[in-house]
Amino acid sequence: MAGDATFKKSIDTAIKNPKLSEALHLFGDAYLVARQNAFHGLDFEEMRREMADIKDEVRINRKELLTEFITNAEKAGSTVFVAQDVQEANDYVINIARKNKARLIVKSKSMVSEEAHLNRALEAAGIRTAETDLGEWIVQLAGQRPSHMVMPAIHMFKEDVAKLFSKQTGKELSPEIKTLVNVAREQLRKEYFDADIGLTGANFLVAETGGIGLVTNEGNARLCATLPRVHIVFAGVHKLVRTIEDAIKITRLLPRNATGQLLTSYITWIRGTVPTDGEKKEQHIILIDGGREKLYESKACRDALRCIQCGACANVCPVYQTVGGHVFGSIYISAIGIILTAFYEGLDKAKELTRACIGCRSCSAVCPSGIDLEEIILHLRNEVTGKYGMGVIKNVAFKAIMKNRSLFHSMVRAASKLQKPIISKVSGGDSPPIIRHLPLHFMAKDFTEWRDLPAVAEKSFRDIFDTIEQHVENPQYTVGFFVGCGADFVYPEVGVALIRVLNRLQVKVVFPKGQNCCGIPALYAGDSETGIDLAKQSVRAFSDAEVDYVLSICPTCTMGVKRDFIKRLSDDPDWSEKAQTLSEKTMDASLFIEKILNGSEKISGLENLITGENVTYHDSCHLKRGNNVWQEPRNLLQSAGFMVTEMKNSDRCCGFGGTYSFLSHPQISKQITTDKVIAIAETGVKTVAMDCPGCMMMLKGAMGKANGSIRCVHTIELLAAAIVKTDK
Amino acid sequence: MSNQQQVEKFMEMAGKVGAETVKLVDLQSVAGYIASQVSGQTLVPSTFLAEKHGLARLLSSSGVNVFKGDFRGADHVPAAGVTFSNFALADTGTIVLESTAEDIRLATTLPEKHFILVDPATILKDNLAAAAPMNVFHAGNDPVFVAYITGPSRTADIERVLTIGCHGPRELHILLVDGISDDMMEN
Ligand code: SF4
Ligand code: SF4
Repeated sequence: MAGDATFKKSIDTAIKNPKLSEALHLFGDAYLVARQNAFHGLDFEEMRREMADIKDEVRINRKELLTEFITNAEKAGSTVFVAQDVQEANDYVINIARKNKARLIVKSKSMVSEEAHLNRALEAAGIRTAETDLGEWIVQLAGQRPSHMVMPAIHMFKEDVAKLFSKQTGKELSPEIKTLVNVAREQLRKEYFDADIGLTGANFLVAETGGIGLVTNEGNARLCATLPRVHIVFAGVHKLVRTIEDAIKITRLLPRNATGQLLTSYITWIRGTVPTDGEKKEQHIILIDGGREKLYESKACRDALRCIQCGACANVCPVYQTVGGHVFGSIYISAIGIILTAFYEGLDKAKELTRACIGCRSCSAVCPSGIDLEEIILHLRNEVTGKYGMGVIKNVAFKAIMKNRSLFHSMVRAASKLQKPIISKVSGGDSPPIIRHLPLHFMAKDFTEWRDLPAVAEKSFRDIFDTIEQHVENPQYTVGFFVGCGADFVYPEVGVALIRVLNRLQVKVVFPKGQNCCGIPALYAGDSETGIDLAKQSVRAFSDAEVDYVLSICPTCTMGVKRDFIKRLSDDPDWSEKAQTLSEKTMDASLFIEKILNGSEKISGLENLITGENVTYHDSCHLKRGNNVWQEPRNLLQSAGFMVTEMKNSDRCCGFGGTYSFLSHPQISKQITTDKVIAIAETGVKTVAMDCPGCMMMLKGAMGKANGSIRCVHTIELLAAAIVKTDK
Repeated sequence: MSNQQQVEKFMEMAGKVGAETVKLVDLQSVAGYIASQVSGQTLVPSTFLAEKHGLARLLSSSGVNVFKGDFRGADHVPAAGVTFSNFALADTGTIVLESTAEDIRLATTLPEKHFILVDPATILKDNLAAAAPMNVFHAGNDPVFVAYITGPSRTADIERVLTIGCHGPRELHILLVDGISDDMMEN
């Protein structure tokens, strides 16, 4: 519990200091543009599939490749040591240093050495270290740790750096970046010449040649590997690749995805004991396991070792942008940092981090190695819950209420009548939890200060479905509607609108009443048991209904049904087959209308369309990155006569993230939402369309307080309004 | 892409990352160009091509202060280094230089300015095309050091502002001269 409190406090501190967050936002925006240019004319998806294959092949054959690397490196004169843990690795370095009577080691960037706290170990042994990467040096002088893998000192400003450098040089330095870079150049140049040992990391280890590769911009790694007589390579065992060609493929992805550069200034390939000052260099390669084998063995998490350390998963992460890497990470930061922390430092250390992820999937979308980071984080969150529990409120709610469909639904009905918090009488515990309406809405008190809470609809969709008349002359398809909690209890009008639109396009809609919540909120909170139960209820309901397709207007539910049900039920052959069948039939409503019905062509052909207004479109995280749908709703809106004005970063998270915004981290959520509200307002457009009830709750609520004149609607509602008069 | 187009592409991309690219007719004009750009200590490693073309001599007679003796005895930041290259990559504006000999490494990492000669016939399309010559460099088991150089040294570590000349050369001058050597194994 102490951990929780400290973590919350660090978030508060970060949020109260918006300067860092502003800088990270600017960086994030510029990054996206640079990255897009860098991949111009290349097929990123294809490239990352290939990278994933390369790295997976390494995983499978890692023992053989390691042996091959060692043999080849030794043939070229290198000494290779495989360290089981960081302690062994540090001791080995100290030993080499002692043998060489070394007093100074110059270092270029090695994240593993951060992981090993190597500098600390060396200083304790009386050996001085000088970091030579500018960012690392700044962080070293400040006595801090890097807050970003590629830009270690991204959290600092030039004034901070000037102060540090002034102290270091004993001269009063102005906070001018050029001057500061020059100071580093001068100060460190001497160190390379004085050093007894140069220590570098490695971006790759080529098994076929026994050589290593360094990808850098500043030129410090080349100096570290050249000037001192001894060269130590300090790297993780997972940096192996089979061939030079595979390594080249890393160099094609890494700089482009890290900083939007086509290539870094230097790529340095070194094999063996190259000449130094008239003799042969002494080269030691230390390969560190430090938890990597355990990670390789974890089926659910092992893809994380495909990481090529581009840092992109931080650049695009809304949580990272809001609180920075010192809060959202440990040695390694942001999405990949959560996973590596769990394996290298222990699940306990990663506990709060797993809960701080909002689940927007930006990291998974940007990763050049095709790591589904968000999914792995979700898995770890489940483990955290299994081990540490998930806190009283969620526990009672999910377990006792969610699983019992009629109880849950009748509670919601009751809530709609009272329109105020209701008290659960369901479970034990002295102070019964307050439950507000929905599985997503377990109240946090400070929440209403900055946004309105959505009111529960007077009648839920499931209560009005039977009263909706459907007129379909020649039904082309019959579809089942997976309503999802948001549309069921808060925005039933979206469900009604969907029926209007589908009927107009000759599709009949059925509503299996046995369906329940998709279970994602429970799952995201780490309660997989409830998730399994809920999946079964819905799979049963839809298997019994005879439908061609199953549609949802909530992308989170679509993901749940399409992807997660199969996984949740995979242990049970009967259920898993049914889940598979349901998955194949399920899709997002906009996608169905556009792809299966050819909707934009049909809609634009309708007579008497009401001329649409100007709208802007918000891409929901789970629609774009979970379902790969973003063009379809835009096409449909345009076909119905709406003009779509794009907002800045339309696919950036709105801050919702389910229970996240209510319970886990309302402060972070608020910041992310504020960004979105500004982006929308900047378009000058008065209507923002989206395809997700979660985003609707978030944005309607925030707009209500921030800018009441902007309307937030579901795409389907706009379509229904446009075709209203086209019937006869 | 024809070689001509590849040369154009290479020059465009090298220019974009801050390298100076100049087409020169022969080694004599190379010496003249360098002499007009540097005044201090200049490191000229004695490599196969440097000897073949008498580079150090040409430079000296044009007035360049060619450093004589052990490069480790030169200034910590010499004024310039002059080297040949093995080949180049058009799509990223990169130069590849086999640098196993220590003098080549010192001449390309320490100085303020790096002048590098490229024969346009050795410009390859991209780094995928570099795999073949890279494999040749790594044939056998001898120690090898290969440098890819793309523009001058840079950093963005302070407030993400791109700043040139962190630890490596602040200027990279790429001098394209026909007929130096189209053998990618020579430098
Ligand atoms: S899912 Fe979103 S919030 Fe979570 S780590 Fe990835 S980018 Fe960050
Ligand atoms: S996980 Fe992917 S995006 Fe994140 S640093 Fe590693 S390679 Fe880059």
